[in-house]
Amino acid sequence: MTQAAPQASTTKAKTRKLPLKERYALLTRDLDWEPSYVGREQLFPYTSYEGIKVHDWDGWQDPFRLTVDAYYKYQAEKDKRLYAVLDSFAQSQGHLSLSDASYLNAIKLFIQGVTPLEYAAHRHFAYLARYLEGPAPRFAALCQSVDELRHCQTQIHTISNYNKYYGGFHSWSKMHDRVWYLSVPKSLFDDAMSAGPFEFLISISFSFEYLLTNLLFVPFMSGASFNGDMPTMSFGFSAQSDESRHMTLGLEAIKFLLEQDEANVPIIQGWIDKWFWRAYRMSALVAGMMDYMLPKPVMSWKEAFELYFEDQMLGGLFPDLDFYGITPPRHVEDAIAEKDHLSHQVYKILHNFSFAAAFTTQTPSEEHSRWLAAQYPATYERLYKPVWDKHARAEAAGGRIFFQGLPQLCQVCQIPMAFTEPDDPGRISFRRSQYRGETFHTCSNGCQWVFEREPEKYVQAWLPVHQIYQGHCGGATVPEVLRWYGIQDGDNGEYKGSPDARSWAQWHAAAPAQGV
Amino acid sequence: MPVKALYDYDFPSADRAELFGDDQLVYVHWDGNPLFCSAACFRAPRAMPFGEFVTQLVVPWAASDPDFDPGAIQEWRLFDEPLAAAPGRSLADLGIRHKALLHFTVPQITG
Repeated sequence: MTQAAPQASTTKAKTRKLPLKERYALLTRDLDWEPSYVGREQLFPYTSYEGIKVHDWDGWQDPFRLTVDAYYKYQAEKDKRLYAVLDSFAQSQGHLSLSDASYLNAIKLFIQGVTPLEYAAHRHFAYLARYLEGPAPRFAALCQSVDELRHCQTQIHTISNYNKYYGGFHSWSKMHDRVWYLSVPKSLFDDAMSAGPFEFLISISFSFEYLLTNLLFVPFMSGASFNGDMPTMSFGFSAQSDESRHMTLGLEAIKFLLEQDEANVPIIQGWIDKWFWRAYRMSALVAGMMDYMLPKPVMSWKEAFELYFEDQMLGGLFPDLDFYGITPPRHVEDAIAEKDHLSHQVYKILHNFSFAAAFTTQTPSEEHSRWLAAQYPATYERLYKPVWDKHARAEAAGGRIFFQGLPQLCQVCQIPMAFTEPDDPGRISFRRSQYRGETFHTCSNGCQWVFEREPEKYVQAWLPVHQIYQGHCGGATVPEVLRWYGIQDGDNGEYKGSPDARSWAQWHAAAPAQGV
Repeated sequence: MPVKALYDYDFPSADRAELFGDDQLVYVHWDGNPLFCSAACFRAPRAMPFGEFVTQLVVPWAASDPDFDPGAIQEWRLFDEPLAAAPGRSLADLGIRHKALLHFTVPQITG
């Protein structure tokens, strides 16, 4: 495309092309108009009830100055590169060169848990593209809406290639709406989408995209690259420039709102406090994935948390926001206190309950256990290895220990109540609140605080365990619930001896020696 | 702080007691056994005698741990208070209400 007519385009540019800044102004802000048939408050009914005051919507600076034509041109080029990788990987049976079939458990979690969030983000940014009052933030939201749709599509196209050979990839959309561990990401996004437009911006654009996106996405993408998953790594690269634009939007949004009116500061602080904890709690699933699901681990959760959150955010961003009167999120000290424990406690949940999941789990091997011990010298051998040793003994005798029942869930994050007291790893952190005569249980100081701030919202939570007991999930027995979840035999349970493990062994035993 | 909304924001709880009829939800935690990631959740009739609750619901779950000995269960607690767990009394009589949390221990069992 580029080699065809370089001369023609340069001569045209000289005569017709406006400077970028003017072009951007004409194609975005200048397309805005003042309503004459209806009042502004009828045209934009959602921008005042949250209490946020905006005096000058034109104060919004769009750092990218993208126009629609340029935007589509860049995205089309990125798509072309990605689909070339997908084709060549599929044609060369690239899946056989993964580190191990068990690696794909991380990718199952990704397509079931994350890809539907991209679609939800697409929908809600489309809503913001209509309802924010300023033309510049509307346009930024429009671009992000299209980005999120593209991410959703490219992820589906990338990951669905594995569906031909492996379990757990077939019904992710239905599972996202129904399965217990997927209610964690789903309910977080539902919480954000049912809030007002400004709270959504702080929740998703700032807390999610800015504060925690590196923790959420980098581990998956580097995990992909370490474990031979070129397609997933390529969509990561393809999304990266979009993500950096989204991060900038998140930062621009918060600075814009803070600068507009001093009365916005305490409202925004409350949202940062809430959404840091909500997004951080959801990232616990990523912690478990990073430390336990990658056959070739990249870096530990603890190390990633220290680098991407403690150094970059607490050390870099929050000192800047201090100028506006914003302080680091409430309960951040609890997150720091549990960094040596989080992934172990979460993987224990997944390992206890993988009979009801659309992925498999396994007790860490001796080698993996040594890696964990080296990453977590203060906690692993003392607190977590003894439990894995007990599992290993049971498995050596031909058994496999699962949790024969249903867990107690946190009313807010919806994760089984597995987290321990910040100062005592031997005691589960049980928190409870009373609201309108009913008891509500939460897993941490953070989730309890979130609950008590808006109890009338969280009492409506669709908690998978309670829904099963109310008879809304296909029946009262495990096979009935699994059928309703869309989980097929072999998607779930123990990895060793699973259909994925057996196929993997067969394919590699059958491979001719010179092909390896 | 109430939810900010453009309308009267008032919705019932998704797990209110009336939805469970004569039954209720009860959580049970085995203190000090790290094999179980969390407490368990059961649905049980309010009128169920405590002894039956233990043998029919708690024991099959606790037996997920191959070292579990049903005879060794001790020190029942209801939330943070000791519970005089008379096997013949019903959950309701013992003050175990909807979404109550029970704890027990078994000496010398750890992971």
